[in-house]
Amino acid sequence: MSETSANAGAAAQSPASVANRADGGTWLNAATRRIRRPLAASAALTALLALSSIAQAWVLAAVLAPVALDRAAPRRLAWLALAFALLAMLRVAVSVGARRAAFGAAQTLARGLRAEVLRDAQALGPYGLRERASGDLITRLVDGIEAVLNYVARYLPQTASAVLVPVLILVCVFPADWISGLVLLLTAPLIPLFMALVGRAAGKASEQRYSQLTRLGAAFVEALGGLVTLRQLGAAERFAQRLDREGEQYRVLTMQVLKLAFLSSLALEFFATVSIAMVAILVGFRLLSGEMQLRQGLFVLLLAPEFYAPLRALGGLRHTRMDALAAARSLAAFGAEATNPPAAAVRGRSAILAGPPEIRIEGLSFGYRGRDAGLRDCAFSIAAGRVTALVGDTGSGKSTLIQLLLGFAAPEAGRILIDGVDLAGLDPAQWREQVAWVPQNTHVFEGSVRDNLALATESADESAMRRAAARSGFDEVVARLPRGWDTQLGERGLGLSGGQLQRLALTRALLRETARVWLLDEPTAHLDADSASRIDAIIAESAGSRTVLVVAHRLASARAADRVVVLRGGRVVEQGTPDELERAGGAYAALLEAEAS
Amino acid sequence: MSRIPRSVTLRLLQVLAPSRGWMLGGAGLALLATLAAIGLAALSGWFIAAMALAGAGGIEINYYTPAAAIRALAILRSGGRYAERLVTHEATLRGLAGLRGWLFRRLIPLAPARLAALRSSDLFARLRADVDALERFYLAVLVPAAVTAASVVASGLLSGLVLPAAACALLLGTSLAGVWLPLLVQRRAGADAQAVARESAQLRGLLLDALRGHAELVAFGRDAAHAARIDELAARLDARRTRLELREGLAGALAGLVAQVTLLAVLGLAIAAVPAGRLAPAMPVMLALLLVAVFEALGPLAEALSTWPSTRTAAVRVFELVDTPAPFAEPKSAVAPCSHPAIVFERVSLRYAEDAPWALDAVDLTLEPGARVAVVGASGAGKSSLIGALLKFYPLQRGCVRVGGQSLEHLDGDALRRQIAVISQQTLLFNQSLIDNLRLGAPDADAGSVERAVQAAQLEPFLATLPSGYQTVLGEAGALVSGGEARRIAIARALLQDAPVLVLDEPTEGLDARTARDLYAALARAAEGRTVLLITHRLGGLAQLVDEVVVMAAGRVVERLPVAAYLART
Repeated sequence: MSETSANAGAAAQSPASVANRADGGTWLNAATRRIRRPLAASAALTALLALSSIAQAWVLAAVLAPVALDRAAPRRLAWLALAFALLAMLRVAVSVGARRAAFGAAQTLARGLRAEVLRDAQALGPYGLRERASGDLITRLVDGIEAVLNYVARYLPQTASAVLVPVLILVCVFPADWISGLVLLLTAPLIPLFMALVGRAAGKASEQRYSQLTRLGAAFVEALGGLVTLRQLGAAERFAQRLDREGEQYRVLTMQVLKLAFLSSLALEFFATVSIAMVAILVGFRLLSGEMQLRQGLFVLLLAPEFYAPLRALGGLRHTRMDALAAARSLAAFGAEATNPPAAAVRGRSAILAGPPEIRIEGLSFGYRGRDAGLRDCAFSIAAGRVTALVGDTGSGKSTLIQLLLGFAAPEAGRILIDGVDLAGLDPAQWREQVAWVPQNTHVFEGSVRDNLALATESADESAMRRAAARSGFDEVVARLPRGWDTQLGERGLGLSGGQLQRLALTRALLRETARVWLLDEPTAHLDADSASRIDAIIAESAGSRTVLVVAHRLASARAADRVVVLRGGRVVEQGTPDELERAGGAYAALLEAEAS
Repeated sequence: MSRIPRSVTLRLLQVLAPSRGWMLGGAGLALLATLAAIGLAALSGWFIAAMALAGAGGIEINYYTPAAAIRALAILRSGGRYAERLVTHEATLRGLAGLRGWLFRRLIPLAPARLAALRSSDLFARLRADVDALERFYLAVLVPAAVTAASVVASGLLSGLVLPAAACALLLGTSLAGVWLPLLVQRRAGADAQAVARESAQLRGLLLDALRGHAELVAFGRDAAHAARIDELAARLDARRTRLELREGLAGALAGLVAQVTLLAVLGLAIAAVPAGRLAPAMPVMLALLLVAVFEALGPLAEALSTWPSTRTAAVRVFELVDTPAPFAEPKSAVAPCSHPAIVFERVSLRYAEDAPWALDAVDLTLEPGARVAVVGASGAGKSSLIGALLKFYPLQRGCVRVGGQSLEHLDGDALRRQIAVISQQTLLFNQSLIDNLRLGAPDADAGSVERAVQAAQLEPFLATLPSGYQTVLGEAGALVSGGEARRIAIARALLQDAPVLVLDEPTEGLDARTARDLYAALARAAEGRTVLLITHRLGGLAQLVDEVVVMAAGRVVERLPVAAYLART
C-alpha cells in the first residue's frame, strides 16, 4: 500500500469537506448564475412557446364551435386553419430554439467547470492533489460535470415552463371564463403543495433507494473483481447467495419507498385530472343554460390539460436534480480544497544545467504532523554525477522527499539547493525538463503503449522508444501484449501488472535523454532478480553524466550506490558509503539484516 | 436447459419470466390508465359540445350519465396510474432481484480462464451499468411500447365507429409521429450518436488522466498539452452534441407538427361530414379532443424507442458474456481428493491462446505429502501458470495434474480448491467486516479457531487498533489495511481454511524488508505440517520456509535441488 493512500482517505473526511457537503444547492445556484443570460433567453422562448400554444387553442376553439353549432362559414374556417398551421410552424421553430439555448447554456457551464477543476488541480499541485482528492472523489468530479450539464439542459428549462406556462394560461383563461380560471387557480397551488409534502418524504426515500442501488451495484462489482479469490476460497456460491439476498432486500425496500414516492405523483395526477373534469362539467352546465359561449368553453377545456402538463413532466426529472446536487457537493468540496491561486505564474531563474548538478538538502521539513511520510529537519548532499540511495521503512518520508525535489510542493522549512541555487527560485518547468522521474505508482494514460511512452518527450521517435524499451526490458512486455505497441492501455484498455508498469515507467525515464537528474522511486519493485539487476546496471552506467537519487526497495541497489542515506520517521538517521554503514552496525546494517534473514 | 432463443427480446423476456403475472398485470393497468385519459378527453369534448347544442336548441338532455362517466374516468385515470406504477415496478424488481446473482453464477466457472477481458475495472463498471440498464427493458421499453400501440389501436377503432376516414388519419398520423419520425431521426443521427458516446468516454478518460496522472503530466511538462487536448476534444464533442440535440429537438417539434396537421385533417373530414348528416354535430369536438389526447399518449413511445438501442446493446453484452463456454465441464461423479494428497505434474503443457508461447512446456514435478518446495525463476518462466493449473483454473493442452493419485479431470474443482490454501502478493479484501473477511474460506469456523488463527498470523496488534474489533468493516478494497496487515489477514484466512496444501505466491512482494521479515514467523506457522509450494522470483528470507528449490525457465523445470545447495550457489 502506498504511503499516501491512508492520508488521502483521512483528507476525504476532513472538516472542510464535511462542512461543504451541506450546501450543494447553494453551489449549484451560484454556478447557474454564471449562465443567467442564455437561461433567461431559454425561459423567454419557453414563454413564447406557451403563448403560441394558447393561441392555437383559441383558433381551434374558434373552428370547432361553429362546426358543432352548424354555423360554420367555410371562408372563415380556411383562414383559421391557415392561422393554426402558421402557429404550428412557429412552435416548431421556437421549441427548437428554446432547447438550443438551454443546451448551449449547459455546455458553457460544463466547459467552465472542466476548466475550473483543472485549474484547482493545478493550484493544489501534484502533491496536494494526491493528498486531498481520493481516486473516488476524482471520479465523482468528472462524472459530476456531466450531471450538472444534464440538470441545466433538462431540469432547469422544465422548471421555467412549470412556472411560466400555468401563469400565462391563467392570464388568458380568466378573461374567457373566470369560473374555470378560479378552478385552475385554486387547484394549482395544491399540486406543488402536495408534491412538496409527499415529495419531501419521497425524495428522502428515493435517495435511500438510490444509495441502495449503488450499494447493490458496488457489491456486484466487488464480487466480480474478487471472483478468482472467491473461487480459490470456495466462497463464490456464498457471494452469489449474498447478491440474491441483497437483490431481494432491494426489492422490498424499494417497493416501500415507491409506495410513498408515487403518492406525490398520485396527488398531482389526481388534482390535475379532477380539476380538468370539473372544468368540463362546469363548462357543460353553463353551456346548457346558455350562460356561456361554446367557443370560450372549448378554449378553456383545451387549455386545462396544458395547465398541468409541465408540472407533471417536472416530477419525472427529479433524479436529474438529485444527481446534480450530489455532483455539486463533490465539486464544492474540491473547490474549497484548492483555495490557493495557481502557482503557474512563477517565472523563476533559468534552471538550465551545464552538467549533472550537486543537490544539497538543508534543514528540510515538510508535512510532519505526527504521521507517516513527513520530513523533519533533513540535511544531506547528493553528489554530482553520483548515485545516492535513499533507504528506510515504508512511511519514513522517502517518496515525499522525491516529490519536493520535483517541486510538487514547497518545503515548509529548509531549502533544496541545486548547484547552490535554491530550487524555490528556479523556473519549475525548466527544472523538471532536466529531471527523469520513476514514480512509485505509475499512472497509465488512456491511449496506446506508444502514446504512453511519447508522454515522456515530445520528440521521441519510434527508434528511440524501441532502444529505451530494449534497455529497460519493456520490449519483452510489449512483445506479450495482444497488439504490441498499439495495444490500448489505461482505464478502458488493458491493465498492466506491477512489474510491467515498472518497466513502462523506466522506459519513460530513459526516453528523457537530456535529463541531468534521475529521481527513481523504488525502480525495481515488482521485478524479478534478473530484471532488477539489469536496472541496477543501467543506473550504474548512467552515473557520471547524471546525478541519481534512488529510493532503494531492495538493498542490492543501495549496495551498488556511491552513498546511502537512511531515513526513519522523517529524519536522516545515518549516511555514508554502503561499506562504512554496513560496518558501523547501525540502522542500515539492521535493514540489511532484516532483508537477509 | 432448452435451446437459447437468439432474439435478444425473447431472451430478455425469458430472464424476466418469473414475474410474468406481475408484468401482464402492470401492462394491463397501464393500458387502463391510458385509455381512461383518452376517454376522459374525448368524452369531455363531446359533453361540452352536446350541452352547448342542447342549450342553444332548448333540447332536453340526459347529463347525469356523461357527467358521472367523466368523474369515473378521472378517478380511474389517476388511481390507475398509481396502481400501474406500483405493479410495473414490482414486476421489474421481482424479475431482477435475482439477476445479479444469476449473472454472477454464470460467470463463476469462467474465472479466470475465460474472463481475461474482464480484468479492467472499467469493464466491471460497464457490466454493472449493463445490468442496471436491463431494469429499463420492461419499464421504459416494453410497457410504453405495448401500451401506446394498444391504446392507439383502441382509439382508432373508437373513432372508426364514428367516422372511418378520421380513424385512417389518426392511425397514419400517430404512426408517423410515434414510430417513423423517431426511427428516421435515430437512423440519421446514428453515426453522430455513436461518435458522441465514443468521444464522451474519451473526454472522461482524458479528464480522469489529467487528475490522476497530474503528477506525471507536470513532471514531463505535458500538463498544458494535455489541457489543450481536452479543450480540443471538448470543442469537437460540444459541436456534435449540439447537432444531435438540435436534431432530437427538431424531431420532437416535428412530431408535434404532425399531430397538429393530423388534427386539421381530421377536423376537415369531420366538418365535411356534418352537413352531409354522416356525423352528429357534437362529434367533431369529440374527435378533436380524442386526437389531442392520443398524441399526448405517444410521448412515452418516443422515449421507449430512444431507450431501446442502449438497452439492447447492454443486453447483448450481458448475454454474450453469459454464453461464453466454460473452460471445463465439471465431472458428473466427482471424486473427493484424499486428505494428504501427493501432487504430481505429468508432462503438463499449458498456453493461454492458440498462438501464444507455451506458459508450461511439458512440466514434470512431484510434491510428496509434506514436501516444502520453492519454485523460482524470472517473470514469465511459468511459475504462476503452475498454480493456475494446480487450482484447475486453466485447461491443460497436454499432460495431467494428479492430486492424491486422481487426475484433475475427475476431481470436483471446488472440492480440490478446498484442499489448497493460497496466500498471494495481492490479498483481496472485501468491503465486509474483518471477521467475514477472515472466514471467507471457512464460514463455519468458530470463535476459538478464529482466535487461534489471528494469533498465529500475528494479527492481534492490528485487531487492537480497530474501532469495532472483528466487526470493523474494512472499507472498499480494504482501504484501512496496510500491505503487511493484508498479508497477515491472508495468512489467518489460510490457517482457518486448514487445507493440507499451502500455495504461497510471492507472499512478501511489495513489502519493505522489515515488514517482510516480520511476516516470516507467521508464514512459518501457516506452513507447519502442510505441503508447501512457494512461488517467488527472489528467495531471500523465504528460504527458511522450504527444503527444496525448483528452478524454472521458459515454461520448463530446469533443475531441482536442496535449498542449501541453491543458496550456496547464489
